Amino acid sequence: MNEVERKISAYIDALNAERKPERDLLTSDEELEKLAATVRQVRTLREPEMPDSDYPKRLSEAVTRKMQKKVTPRRTFGRFFKPATVLVAGLLLFALLTSWGGLLQQDVVYAMEKAVAQLENYHGILEMRTKNANGEEWVVRQVELWSEGNKYALRQDDGTLTVNNGEQKWQIRPQSGEVAILPVVPDPTRSSFDLRDEAKRAKEYPHKVVGSEVVAGRQATKLEITPPGGLSYYLWVDNETDLPIQLQTAMQNGLQTTYTFISFKPNTKFEANIFAYQVPEGYKVIAEDPGQLVATVEEAAAISGLTPILPHKAPKRVFAFENKIVLDYEDTTITESLASGSFKPAPNSALGTAAGGPLEVWWESLRWRQTGLEIQVEGPQRVELAQQIAPDLTLPDLDKQGNKGQVKVPVDMEIVKASQQQVDRGSSPWQLDPMQVALTFVNLEVTPEGIVGEPTIPMASFEVESNNGAVAVVKVSEGPIAKVYLERLIRQDETGIWTVVGYDPR
Amino acid sequence: MLTFKDLIKAKAGDPRAIEDFCLDTWETTYRFVYYKVQNREEAEDITQETYVKFLSSLNQQSTPIDNIGGYLKVVALNVIRDKWRRNKRRGTLVNIEDINPSKMASQDCQDTITERLQVEEALAQLKEEQRTILELRIIKGYSVADTAKLIGKSEGAVRTIQHRALRVLSKILTAKNE
Repeated sequence: MNEVERKISAYIDALNAERKPERDLLTSDEELEKLAATVRQVRTLREPEMPDSDYPKRLSEAVTRKMQKKVTPRRTFGRFFKPATVLVAGLLLFALLTSWGGLLQQDVVYAMEKAVAQLENYHGILEMRTKNANGEEWVVRQVELWSEGNKYALRQDDGTLTVNNGEQKWQIRPQSGEVAILPVVPDPTRSSFDLRDEAKRAKEYPHKVVGSEVVAGRQATKLEITPPGGLSYYLWVDNETDLPIQLQTAMQNGLQTTYTFISFKPNTKFEANIFAYQVPEGYKVIAEDPGQLVATVEEAAAISGLTPILPHKAPKRVFAFENKIVLDYEDTTITESLASGSFKPAPNSALGTAAGGPLEVWWESLRWRQTGLEIQVEGPQRVELAQQIAPDLTLPDLDKQGNKGQVKVPVDMEIVKASQQQVDRGSSPWQLDPMQVALTFVNLEVTPEGIVGEPTIPMASFEVESNNGAVAVVKVSEGPIAKVYLERLIRQDETGIWTVVGYDPR
Repeated sequence: MLTFKDLIKAKAGDPRAIEDFCLDTWETTYRFVYYKVQNREEAEDITQETYVKFLSSLNQQSTPIDNIGGYLKVVALNVIRDKWRRNKRRGTLVNIEDINPSKMASQDCQDTITERLQVEEALAQLKEEQRTILELRIIKGYSVADTAKLIGKSEGAVRTIQHRALRVLSKILTAKNE
């Protein structure tokens, strides 16, 4: 490939990812510099990407640190030379270096990766706080965690203890006096805040040091991590242990969660039996078909009674259930089960096609039907693995515009923007569901004075005909409107609201 | 209303004064910087450096208290040009003392509108395929792979057409400015 073509393309990619282009990308090449300037000029036609809401605060803190450093008179340092002053100066220097980024930020992530790799086990108390865009906290929960290799135990506020020892997963529920035996995989409990995953992501994704703060009484370095094409989130790394201590997710659907280790002991000694399966006296055991770890797919087929469709890539583990097989790829799982009833994609999911039928695309999950099986692939390798099972799989075509209906509905973008902001703040989440938006629109056409009680045209009369994540068509089986055409006008992802742009009268 | 006294406090490192000053003015400064560098990471860093430089060089004689926004833009421009010069890119340093910030601020706004119009006109002169690729890649922000899928071409072809389109566009824009 032509080197200039490659470099200018990489330059565009960096700007699209809102990253500073690599310095050596354009060095001393006049033609490339000209082309890069042209790229920047074209890019002025789009709206600037604004920083996170806490940027003004970060900015003023960073400026304060630098200005204070500038005005510290040298003679004071000499006259009051004490160990404490050295500490303060050290911290100031640290703050200054971290805010400069550069070498030190690589060191933070490198040290964290090393510390996590050396971590044999840990015991801690993790606090989870969720707040909406207005800053109101509405969920506060604490869990106690023991983790060692692929084993963990997690005790919730109400005393419920969930344990996965790699071979078995169970939950002790003191309130009902029950022990529930659960499937080992897929395991959604594990993925909430895994230290190894966090260190890996921080290394893989563009990141930078944005400050130094005290978290749960410990001095920590704050990292801003920006997954390609995603929203930035923050990770705080304990300066003493080099381990992650706090994670703050990006504001998604108007909600943001902060996970904080309010106590944390790495490489410690556990109670010997914490990961051992024991039924407390007087407790009843309920088996929810935990599945069996099997050695071969043939064995899984015999237990489940299914003939699974396999991708080329071999799974790490295979679990067999009655009428279900789970293939475990560590970060991704494939669940194949017997299809029953009709296939109903989640109303807010985007639709593609697979095996000649619809494909549900919903966050990190793909789901479709194929030769009598319902197949769901969840995790980062989902597209690659799903395409190995259904080679005809196509993801929603975002550029497909479709028609906008026989009757156009005028759209006031100011109102749409305000509605999106309202949903981002955590209210009116129904606007994220094209079915709900269509239902409201149609019923307001029928009863313009407002919907009182049950809507005249019920939800059962609405069905999503197509949805590519940006444009959707909802069919209505009764009433004056036959089809409603909707678009995500502000953001074309799961956080974007739907707006009616047209309809077909019956 | 910002006073010179507030700015002196900010210069002395007073956190409250710095916070008030930044909250009041950051958005215009950030937007200006973003317009020049076109990426968030660099825009955030340069905005920060602009404030430090601004406060460090503050003096009653040369700081126009009635147009701090314009003056911040001049400082930002110097920071950007200084960085580009260090990266062996072109750009001459603007002497802060010689510049009239109020003229600079309004001129900049007009320049922005004119520049955008010029880019739009220049894009319209490209072949449809070239224009589509630049729109998808640069304005809509699609990857080469997605762009290739959308227009039914190979990734290599997208890069080649993109390169040619930028060369043509660069010539058109240079001719307009001469």
